[in-house]
Amino acid sequence: MTDCKKFKKDFVAFLSQELEEDERKLLQSHLDRCPDCKREMAQLEEFMKGADSLKMDIEQIMGEVDWEELPRKITENVFKQESAFPRESWLARLSRFLFQPRLRPIYAGLLLGVLLGSLATYFILRAPHLKEAKSTQIFVPANFIERMELEMARRETLDYLEKSQYLLLDFVQSPSEKSAEFWRSEFASQKARELLDKKRYINPQLDKYQMAKAKMICDQIELLFYELSQISVKLSVEEIEKIQKLIEEKHILLKIDLLKKELGKSEV
Amino acid sequence: MVTKRVGEDEDIYTLVERIKKADREAFMTVTNLYQKKVFLLAFSFFRNKEDALDIVQETFLRLYQRVNLFRKGQNFQNWLLQIAKNLCIDYYRKNYSRSKDYDREKPIEEMNLALQNERDPYFSSDLKGIFSACLKKLATKQRLIFVMKHYNQLEYQEIAQILGISLGTVKSLHFKAVQNMRGLVAPYLGREL
Repeated sequence: MTDCKKFKKDFVAFLSQELEEDERKLLQSHLDRCPDCKREMAQLEEFMKGADSLKMDIEQIMGEVDWEELPRKITENVFKQESAFPRESWLARLSRFLFQPRLRPIYAGLLLGVLLGSLATYFILRAPHLKEAKSTQIFVPANFIERMELEMARRETLDYLEKSQYLLLDFVQSPSEKSAEFWRSEFASQKARELLDKKRYINPQLDKYQMAKAKMICDQIELLFYELSQISVKLSVEEIEKIQKLIEEKHILLKIDLLKKELGKSEV
Repeated sequence: MVTKRVGEDEDIYTLVERIKKADREAFMTVTNLYQKKVFLLAFSFFRNKEDALDIVQETFLRLYQRVNLFRKGQNFQNWLLQIAKNLCIDYYRKNYSRSKDYDREKPIEEMNLALQNERDPYFSSDLKGIFSACLKKLATKQRLIFVMKHYNQLEYQEIAQILGISLGTVKSLHFKAVQNMRGLVAPYLGREL
């Protein structure tokens, strides 16, 4: 029976003479053997004949048409339309396709989408949270900076005093001959010059923050170094002794110590 | 329909070339050669003479507009019938899908089959009406295939080309069309065909 089912699919093609020679022969031999299929085929053939009844109808209608006149009429119409609407080039066809009315909603939608998209982009980019920070300004109270500057000045002064102390200790504690030699060396004069530079730098700070006591001592030290660095090359042993004495008399080293302690104590 | 395809194709290419150059005479010759085939397809599809004539007119107008798209080596008749087929489908959608005009003929239920000639049932006019009405009830593609096969007497291969589907699909759709037609016609004849 499955055979019959398979063959039945070819019945229409068989009657339409659309089967290949071998397929046709196979089906024919099946029909000879199977009475069911043979009957089915006969019914189908009858139906096809029924469908053919329409052919007569068609022929009758076709008889009513003037086939001589029709081409003339069509040609005239086509060429008349042609002169009114010349044959389209492919470009015209393309533009007609692109601009056909039924695509209008699509274009409108696209346009709306682009518009909305650009508006959204515009507003998002304008939003404040995405705006780049103008600058990295830090706001601090005015007295904070003042305190910071004071602290800096204090430290600079301490540093200056310490270095001066070392240099003066070197100078005072060594015997006068050696001391003269020491001052003649490049090393000492360079140190002294550095300290003079530093003093020039801390001067305005000392003025500003009214550290009068510190300034006084620092000025004395400065003067000392100035003299030493100016005259060191031609210092005689006596002169050095005189200066050493001067330092001791004026208790410069002691003053430096005191001042250092004072500055170190006060955090500001 | 007598088809004289052999030899015709060689001439048709020169005719088409002349139509491309807007040759009126060539256009009329081609129209003359193919008008009946287009009419047959359209009439079988619509079962209406006026609609069929409209389709013929439109098909040849479109042929003229699109003749530049025709390439040598293509089968001209299939190309033309393809245009006609597309027009039929468009025309059907535009004019019939919404209105009930299509069934303006006598309703199938009123047809009196009892009066038909018992000996020669297939030539009764009501039987034609039944077939005609049932044909219109088929789905568009099945109807086209049925019409092309039975009234245009085209081969499966040609139908496949015109409809742009495979040979196997044509075969199975034709089988379905016949089965559906039989199912539709049977109740009105009171017996199975």
